Amino acid sequence: MVVRSYNDELKYLEKINNYCWRIKIGFQPNMKVEGCFYVNSALEKLMLEELRNACRPGMVGGFLPGVKQIANVAALPGIVGKSVGLPDVHSGYGFAIGNMAAFDMNDPVSIVSPGGVGFDINCGVRLLRTNLWEKDVLPVKEQLAQSLFDHIPVGVGSKGIIPMNAHDLEEALEMGMDWSLREGYIWAEDKEHCEEYGRMLNADPSTVSMRAKKRGLPQLGTLGAGNHYAEIQIVDEIYDKWAACKMGIEEKGQVCVMIHSGSRGFGHQVATDALVQMEKAMKRDNIETNDRQLACARIHSEEGQNYLKSMAAAANFAWVNRSSMTFLSRQAFAKQFEMSPDDLDMHVIYDVSHNIAKVEEHLVDGKPKTLLVHRKGSTRAFPPGHPLIPVDYQLTGQPVLIGGTMGTCSYVLTGTETGMEQTFGSTCHGAGRALSRAKSRRNLDYTEVLRKLDSMGISIRVASPKLVMEEAPESYKNVTDVVNTCHAAGISNKCIKLRPIAVIKG
Amino acid sequence: MEGSLMNEDLTLPECKYEYLDHTADVQLHAWGDSLKEAFEQCGMAMFGYMTTLSTVEIKQVEEIEAHGHDLESLLFHFLDELLFLFSCDAYLICSKLVITEFNIEGEELMIRCKCYGEEFTLGKHPQGTEVKAITYSAMHIVNEPETNKFEVFVIIDI
Repeated sequence: MVVRSYNDELKYLEKINNYCWRIKIGFQPNMKVEGCFYVNSALEKLMLEELRNACRPGMVGGFLPGVKQIANVAALPGIVGKSVGLPDVHSGYGFAIGNMAAFDMNDPVSIVSPGGVGFDINCGVRLLRTNLWEKDVLPVKEQLAQSLFDHIPVGVGSKGIIPMNAHDLEEALEMGMDWSLREGYIWAEDKEHCEEYGRMLNADPSTVSMRAKKRGLPQLGTLGAGNHYAEIQIVDEIYDKWAACKMGIEEKGQVCVMIHSGSRGFGHQVATDALVQMEKAMKRDNIETNDRQLACARIHSEEGQNYLKSMAAAANFAWVNRSSMTFLSRQAFAKQFEMSPDDLDMHVIYDVSHNIAKVEEHLVDGKPKTLLVHRKGSTRAFPPGHPLIPVDYQLTGQPVLIGGTMGTCSYVLTGTETGMEQTFGSTCHGAGRALSRAKSRRNLDYTEVLRKLDSMGISIRVASPKLVMEEAPESYKNVTDVVNTCHAAGISNKCIKLRPIAVIKG
Repeated sequence: MEGSLMNEDLTLPECKYEYLDHTADVQLHAWGDSLKEAFEQCGMAMFGYMTTLSTVEIKQVEEIEAHGHDLESLLFHFLDELLFLFSCDAYLICSKLVITEFNIEGEELMIRCKCYGEEFTLGKHPQGTEVKAITYSAMHIVNEPETNKFEVFVIIDI
């Protein structure tokens, strides 16, 4: 790492407009392209503060600030366009969280990096609508929250309740949501409203280690811990009535269910295994990176291909996982209201992946190119008319689901043409951490956090209440700032705002 | 591999670890009178993040083995094995780790470790945070026998 004073570092950063900064070549060694990051004035302070803290000399055991990580990614072989930081960017493993980078598939030196996807492969958000209104739910809110909590296994050490043996797992890994459909857990139209229709076709379970499968099997159909949650939400604001209508959202007060989860221990182990494999590949192919955490392999090498196939299997696992919890949520609602999920109109509005790498066609300097787009803590946001989005959203652009944190709002955005040009069709994914977990635990009191949620009228069921302060809104960047920045920069449009009335988490 | 437990197996070592700040994840900092002890403490620090270790009774013992080509990769694989022990089959949560073989010379480094604890049980063990993975991120190992300084820093992804 280049060590410079904070003021010298700032010379490499240039504010282009009120929402975007440029990271010039030279900020980190070997940068092949420039970097950029999207922030408004409030988020800008957090970003630069992180950099300033890292510039103190003699740091031991420290970590790289997000802006340095964006620049290190810009130094990876085969990168095209820019290394982009989204407004919720913060320091992560290798890549920053909230980082998008695309690599030219036809350039033989181009790489794929598990760090550019993250440990929780195909972590994502799914939104279900209902035809219920706030007044229908408020009288039974506590019962409904409890019922969801009883239906969905949450937290560390919990095991799935969807019957599953090793053979079923192999099939699920290969088939994704086609497996869920065949087994009767989902509706056929759910698939239509998922990226990739809930199945990555290049998934190959034979490339996945036994270890990953063993970790994954007991955890299928579990929510997990940390920032994962299931929430009952109320439509609080509609910014784009026409697009909302296309999603089946009619009025303020409508009830929705949001599920935020990923590929659990399965994906974590796939990522861990790949990182170990790639360390060896890097030595063999003499791939130089600025940071050991940016372990990567050439896309067309054996390790690169194996990772993409096993990552696809993990992506399928995550879709089956979210589908299983969709099933359980529908059951919980059906029991509470003594109506079938069908009569409750509990359709999937959309399902997004915010930790994934995908092969996509994009224009680079006016020429069409096939790219491997890494989105880590970043959501795909394709514009109206894009061939890969479902027919229902062809005119509105792809719905983009932005999960808030416990007690804050969540948003639905839509993809734009500007986003397609500037960020290869990518936008933010959530709030993004501002405080470290340890700091949250020191500065906040969990009873206080729970009391505050209660006073906001939010029912909460949490497996580890003593850790809720780690996920308290104070620990995160303001999701409204994040979403407003994306809207102002034009990389996605605000459509719907949702506010939680019940939170279920690990 | 399961073994029978002796009385001395039930005494717990003192706590020589702490949790340090990291934006998204948590950094484990462990130390000891030897590098071996620092490794053991680091493993316990990880389990301590998953539950309250005082609720864990020592009812069974499992043995794990980890290999590495340098100290960093040895520590990485050691913790990864412990995480695996918790994640499936045994679902073992440990309150005590004893490294019985600690070979850090030569090309192939190796650890053999006895892990004391019990099956993680909802209702008995408070749910802490889930550890997704071990990382090399800012991994730092201090191994200075001259000054008797043995410390490890590891970031775990949660």
